[in-house]
Amino acid sequence: MQQLPLGITLNPGISFSSFIPGSNAQALASLQSAVAGHENSFIFLWGGKGTGKSHLLQAACQQADALNLQAAYIPLLQAHSFSAAIFEGLEQFDLVCLDDLEQVTGLPGWEQALFNLFNSLRDNGARLLITAHCSPTALEVALPDLASRLSWGLSYRLYPLSEDETIEALLQSATDRGLKLPTETAHYLLKHCPRDMGSLLDILNRLDHASLAAQRRLTIPFVRTQLESELIAARRLHTQT
Amino acid sequence: MNLWQRCIDHLQAELPPQQFNTWIRPLHAIQESSRIRLLAPNKFVLDWVNNHYIELINSFFTHLEEASNLLVVLEIGSKPRKREAGAINGLQHVQKSRAPQQTKNSQQPAETSLESNINPNFTVDTFVEGKSNQLARAAAIQIGANPGTAYNPLFIYGGVGLGKTHLLHAVGNIILSNNPSSRVVYLHSEAFVAEMVKALQNNTIENFKKRYRSVNALLIDDVQFFAGKERSQEEFFHTFNALFESQQQIILTSDRFPKEVTGLEERLKSRFGWGLTVAIEPPDLETRVAILKRKAQQLFNVDLPNEVAFFIGKRVRSNIRELEGALRRIIASARFTGRPISLDFAKEALKDLLAAHDKQVTIENIQKTVAEYFKIRVSDLLSSKRNRSIARPRQIAMSLAKELTNHSLPEIGNAFGGKDHTTVLYATRKIAALKESDTRIAEDYGNLLRTLTN
Repeated sequence: MQQLPLGITLNPGISFSSFIPGSNAQALASLQSAVAGHENSFIFLWGGKGTGKSHLLQAACQQADALNLQAAYIPLLQAHSFSAAIFEGLEQFDLVCLDDLEQVTGLPGWEQALFNLFNSLRDNGARLLITAHCSPTALEVALPDLASRLSWGLSYRLYPLSEDETIEALLQSATDRGLKLPTETAHYLLKHCPRDMGSLLDILNRLDHASLAAQRRLTIPFVRTQLESELIAARRLHTQT
Repeated sequence: MNLWQRCIDHLQAELPPQQFNTWIRPLHAIQESSRIRLLAPNKFVLDWVNNHYIELINSFFTHLEEASNLLVVLEIGSKPRKREAGAINGLQHVQKSRAPQQTKNSQQPAETSLESNINPNFTVDTFVEGKSNQLARAAAIQIGANPGTAYNPLFIYGGVGLGKTHLLHAVGNIILSNNPSSRVVYLHSEAFVAEMVKALQNNTIENFKKRYRSVNALLIDDVQFFAGKERSQEEFFHTFNALFESQQQIILTSDRFPKEVTGLEERLKSRFGWGLTVAIEPPDLETRVAILKRKAQQLFNVDLPNEVAFFIGKRVRSNIRELEGALRRIIASARFTGRPISLDFAKEALKDLLAAHDKQVTIENIQKTVAEYFKIRVSDLLSSKRNRSIARPRQIAMSLAKELTNHSLPEIGNAFGGKDHTTVLYATRKIAALKESDTRIAEDYGNLLRTLTN
């Protein structure tokens, strides 16, 4: 009989210490030092999917919290369900993190609000961390005043992890969840699934549930069966729609 | 552990990290005897928390024995921010807020007169002079020494990130050093609008008028942001007149010449041109190098080697903010690796930034931009038409291609409908000479250069 997993997952929290830096060690160090208020109050990070952008911003919020600073994290990927009014009052914060900026560039209302927020945070000496899928100069920003400000800070391109580092990150993430992931299963996942960290973590999350429900360990045969049944379910859904 | 902290721990375990970080973390809790006040930064967050999380929060407290009768109240507000002394990362901070009344939590009586809020770090001495800004700098010094009488208003225009704001504060600093009791107020036009709107809402517009009409010098940045805001323009018009008549100094900046600012009333445009209008052009290579060296010294106490400064200055041309961004990256890399800043080191440190930058500028891109700018067709640029309305833009496009890409002259000629490389050479020499003698050409060239490299 299948055991129903509890609706609660042990949320490991996202911190700098759970970030596997790979080639991004300097970016990581700069962020930590920015949150602590040492230097560079504005940092811009850019990189492709799964390079750790969201992880780093949320880790920055977590660190800010530990330092008793007030922090906000805004995932602009969901900007369609927000409005630029979400920026109001943030000028009073110590740290503002804006994830996926490319989602709102070119939209006049958002750009204007962002321009005002940028100026106020700067005047107040607060920290601002921004991520996007491309560099500040390659972003299609319509307001020149905003465009030039985005190039003002320290910026880093984030690089994806190498294969070995991805395995390491996957194992680390499993351990953080209290989950036992055999190394050979991690290799199997890397061979058969999308290789960016975001997708791999989603899969790990589903496997976490599945293994709890089935009371099975994450062996390769179990994982293979799971992935296959997910695939079949997805196809069925596809033909139905 | 306090009650809210326990609730936070519970929510953190229950919610996906992104939701937790977006909606719960920014809340600031104030615990009182029988209730907890949760401050949300704005109405948007407040409504969202109310719609999505308040039940979760309430149910947590209901199940907690010592808090079962606790009332949770959501309000808009935030924890008062403690200001950090000095400048983090060398950014200059305005010592007092831009306009004291504008601060959300400030409880000052509305009739308080405005105090000076000039940034002491933006002085004429820290402003690097070059051919591109000589005139504006000289005007600033003269007006600083004779406010209200030399030229009124002073209108400074130029592209973004070229030092307009710096110069505004520099004039303010001269005025204050000659007469420390002067009230010199700096304000971004957006802040003027925001404050006026608030005054209208709070029915304090008369105080607002009084405050702004009683300063000794009013420095308004980026007046192009007044565009389309009629009520603000009306108010600013009267403020302008009052200050002008009582011989108080007005200084304005904009991204373009007064007459060319779209969305502004004619009467304002004409007044903006009453005094002295000066341009700030993008800095030439030597000035960019000087700026880099100065900034390295000032912000990081680093002596930037000439060859490195020239390397950055040659590759980053659009504006001073971008120069500073590149400089920050080199310094951060040097500190992280502990290596000295050599040319090779700088190239390595800026590899990603410059690669992203270079991708932008292609000959096709230049042709498209130039054609749009002069309202002609790209096919005209590639044709052999010789009338000036086509030939001049073509020569400008060729010069830009030589300056901005690494293509050889024959390659450039080829890309312009198979022209000879001597045609390209002639074009670049012709434009270089015209830039010196014809300000219109110099301005067009500068605008295009900025558009292409920004």
